[in-house]
Amino acid sequence: MPGPGRFDNLPQRAITIDRRSQRLEIKGAPVSDVKLVGIRKSFGETAVVRGVDLHVQAGEFVVFVGPSGCGKTTLLRLVAGLEAVDSGDIVLGGKRVNDTPPRDRDIGMVFQSYALYPHMSVRQNMAFGLELRKMPKPEIETRVQEAAKLLELGALLERKPKELSGGQRQRVAMGRVIVRRPQIFLFDEPLSNLDTALRVQMRGELARLHRQLGVTMIYVTHDQVEAMTLANRVAVFDKGVLQQIGKPLELYHRPDNTFVATFLGSPSMNLLEVTRDGQAIRAPGLTLQAPGDLTERGVLKLGLRPQDLKIAASGPISGEVEAIERLGFDGFAFLKTAAGPVTARFDGASGDVEVGQSVKVALNGDVSHFFTLDGARALRHPSKPTPE
Amino acid sequence: MIFALVIALSQAAASPDEPLKLWHAYRGGEEQALEKAVAEFTKQTGTKVNLLAVPYDAFSSKLTSAIPHEAGPDVFIFAHERLRQFHRMKVVAPSRLDQSAYIQSTVDALELDGEHYGYPLSLKCLALFYNTKLIANAPTTTAELTELAKSLTDPASGRYGIAYEAGDFYLHAPILAGFGGELFDPITGRAQLNTPGMAASLRWVKSLQDRQYMPQEVSGALVKSLFNEGRAAMIISGPWFAGEIDPSIEWAIAPLPRVSENHDTPMAPFLGVEAAFVSSMSKHADQAQALARFLSVGEATLARVSLGRQIPAELAAYRSEVVSSDRLIASFRAVAELAKPTPNTLEMARVWEPMKLALRGVLQGGTPPEDAGALAERRYKALNRERPEDANPAPFIVGAVFLALAGLVGFVLRQRTQAQGRAFKQRYPDTARGLTWVAPAAIGVLILIIIPFAVGISLSLFHHEAGNYSFVGFANFTDILLSRGYAITEPLSFYFTLVVTLMWTLINVALHVIIGLFLAILLKNPLLRLRGVYRVILIVPWAVPNYITALMWRGMFHRQFGAMNALLTLFGIEPISWFTRFSTSFAANVITNTWMGFPFMMVVCLGALQSIPEDLYEAAEVDGASKWVQFRRITLPLLKPALLPAIILGLVWTFNMFNIIYLVSGGEPGGATDILVSEAYRWAFQRNEQYGFAAAYSVLIFFVLLAWSQVTKRISAEAGVE
Repeated sequence: MPGPGRFDNLPQRAITIDRRSQRLEIKGAPVSDVKLVGIRKSFGETAVVRGVDLHVQAGEFVVFVGPSGCGKTTLLRLVAGLEAVDSGDIVLGGKRVNDTPPRDRDIGMVFQSYALYPHMSVRQNMAFGLELRKMPKPEIETRVQEAAKLLELGALLERKPKELSGGQRQRVAMGRVIVRRPQIFLFDEPLSNLDTALRVQMRGELARLHRQLGVTMIYVTHDQVEAMTLANRVAVFDKGVLQQIGKPLELYHRPDNTFVATFLGSPSMNLLEVTRDGQAIRAPGLTLQAPGDLTERGVLKLGLRPQDLKIAASGPISGEVEAIERLGFDGFAFLKTAAGPVTARFDGASGDVEVGQSVKVALNGDVSHFFTLDGARALRHPSKPTPE
Repeated sequence: MIFALVIALSQAAASPDEPLKLWHAYRGGEEQALEKAVAEFTKQTGTKVNLLAVPYDAFSSKLTSAIPHEAGPDVFIFAHERLRQFHRMKVVAPSRLDQSAYIQSTVDALELDGEHYGYPLSLKCLALFYNTKLIANAPTTTAELTELAKSLTDPASGRYGIAYEAGDFYLHAPILAGFGGELFDPITGRAQLNTPGMAASLRWVKSLQDRQYMPQEVSGALVKSLFNEGRAAMIISGPWFAGEIDPSIEWAIAPLPRVSENHDTPMAPFLGVEAAFVSSMSKHADQAQALARFLSVGEATLARVSLGRQIPAELAAYRSEVVSSDRLIASFRAVAELAKPTPNTLEMARVWEPMKLALRGVLQGGTPPEDAGALAERRYKALNRERPEDANPAPFIVGAVFLALAGLVGFVLRQRTQAQGRAFKQRYPDTARGLTWVAPAAIGVLILIIIPFAVGISLSLFHHEAGNYSFVGFANFTDILLSRGYAITEPLSFYFTLVVTLMWTLINVALHVIIGLFLAILLKNPLLRLRGVYRVILIVPWAVPNYITALMWRGMFHRQFGAMNALLTLFGIEPISWFTRFSTSFAANVITNTWMGFPFMMVVCLGALQSIPEDLYEAAEVDGASKWVQFRRITLPLLKPALLPAIILGLVWTFNMFNIIYLVSGGEPGGATDILVSEAYRWAFQRNEQYGFAAAYSVLIFFVLLAWSQVTKRISAEAGVE
């Protein structure tokens, strides 16, 4: 149980990783889980979080993802205790913490801007939280050295934040959390201020850290690549509501609604309004055989991932090429069809594709997703790729 | 062209038909009266007169500079106090005075070494004004006066028998004279302040106040309001007071009473006489004498009485209908006959400050009347330093030349090293143009900074007395630094003042920062309603000119009528006589300056606080920092870069904060709350014009601040503030 932050109450934990299964073995103090029950939060007239229920398992890495203003950062700040909920309960490690100040929640947080104390050296930045908890000096030193080693900050301990590069600052922000060994790590878009190459590297380090520390991590980002690569589970938010939570590939292959379907995956899933008429799916300039497991009739939304469509000599969809995104050998073509815009893949086998050209598009087998017309509910997903 | 004009004017002045020039500083009715008299003079004699009204402030210096260059007037009107100075500068000619025509005391005022100068026009002196509703017959003796005062006093309802500015020596001088206190030694002419008469006169005044016949800390404004509200039965003031009396009050004037305690000796007030002086350089001496005389008698006098309401010096005027029908003017004759001309000697100028010290000491209860004379005497001696021995200027000149040469050589050598072998021409290919561009700023710096600075430093090596400068070397500095003439623990000592100044500076700035920071934190809170309004209100003290602030607070610290004591009384605390003790007087200064100074620090802090990112506090909160720890470990260190320069500036400003000291405590008690700058000011302008001594003070202040700037440089460097 996270106590009120004295040294004696800090969890002592050793983490081992089972090399074969890559599973975390957490030994020693138990790790907290995070349970959110009916969370609501408004700022003035604006409802930012509109009833969220969510359970993050102990030791899990969950990424909150969604467009700007979807409430994901606010939700994280509610967990941290930097904001107070309007209604609902936040339960950390089985204890309701609605009225517990951040310092007693046994959490660590990495801010988007890193929020390093500019007047303190790297060492002081990391030691600050420990000093405040009246930890003995030698113990502080040990922990700082440990964290510095883990994050390769050993040579920078005496520098001030302004003398560090972006990536180094990012690692110090992480180190500041690590030394305190909290049970829950919270990240608020920690990589958004870094350049692409550094972001890829830091992503790897974060994943490694999670494995080594074996703590519960909640990570907020608007970048679906980070979400897909880092998370044990991804939670997709829109307009203050949790749209879907699940393993990354599960979300990709079996989105619950058109928002999740289009948010994950790049380029976005094609959505076409179609009418089921007997065994045929029709739209202007398009006719398909209805899948056997689709029971609904009438007007529906058809979802097709661009990766599953290919420009070919013949196919059920025809359209005119409006733009091309060439990625080398293959690429994507953006087409205008009678049913609406469609993005499709092409490669060398597709022959030369040019803007203005009329082309046909073929489907790679059973690839069609169906949603209700308003997009709120999935009706059918392709059966082929079964996420484990 | 100006030269041509001057020649033309002087040639014109030489011609016999040229009008006489008359300069004066009159306004309003007094000016009308003069115009009327001059017109009459022209009608009677055919001599034209050109009148020129000169602003009073500039009058004296204009006279002393214009007359020796033959550009001045033939006749000018001035008060007799400056006669000795005019005589020394040889700008006045003796007059052909018919002494029996004027009140004797006014004739005496115009005498200098057996010779008379000018013609007396009007006079001013103190008289007893009384409310005829309350008093039927004016008291003629002090015994009667105290008796009357006793019956008319009711402190509970704020009624007093008598009120006058008892702390002002001008008003105490007649009482001193009445009690037999001779202000100057008849043989040596030096001031003598520790006399039995002094003690007796002070004891009497103190008893008036102790028995509450008279209010405490009386100012001119208080006298006026008490008399106009019928709450003071008698007041002592001059003819100018007549214009300030409320029409609803019935009043009369009497001479000041005789002193029963001293064989009914009259109280002789100081007499100020305005006279028409003839210029020593007048080209028409006879006509000028005629004009000056004409102005002092007959119709001219009557015009002055009826239009200007001035008290005439001419005896004949008092027999005229115009005067006898004017109660104020008629009654002033008796008053004036008792008056003695204000001495126009240098010694007179030297007694004001010591006497003020003695009077304040007695009235505010810090000094027994018996000891006040000795106190004044001691201060008199300290203030009127003996002229130090002349020093040989040669070593100083050699030293100055050597320093200048050394500086020049140093400059050239530095140029050489910087030049690294390149010729001057090479480094500065277009010297002429460069110098042209630099010249305006360089000339400005030279005139505004370098020359005054050099003059100030040179002045500190001189002693000034009555217009004469003598070179005394470092004597001023050694006198100051060795605290010669007074103990180190006395307020006049440099070290005492230095300690007070340092205390003053540190306490003030500490309060400014603490209050400013506290308010800035409050105002930063976005939840505070009407934040903008508070912000504006709190900046107001800063926006008000600081002398107004000072005067406002000075009023609030008044013993009887000030808001501060009213507030204390409300809480059941005894009213404090703020300026009688060092601690309270100092506190009054500090309170005033704090009120004025905190907004600056508040604005600086507010700006700095707003530049601290909010997420630092969030990170600290997660780290486990309480609000207090956040303030101490995050806010304060991050404020330092902005606050440190502000504090350094604030220290310098406060160190030299002249206005507050001068206007609030005025150095009370006894100069104890003076700081270095106000002390330097007093040496220069209130203590016998000891410019050299004051300049030495300023040089020492300069060195203190120079040392301080070196310290701050180091502090800033260590804190990493550019």
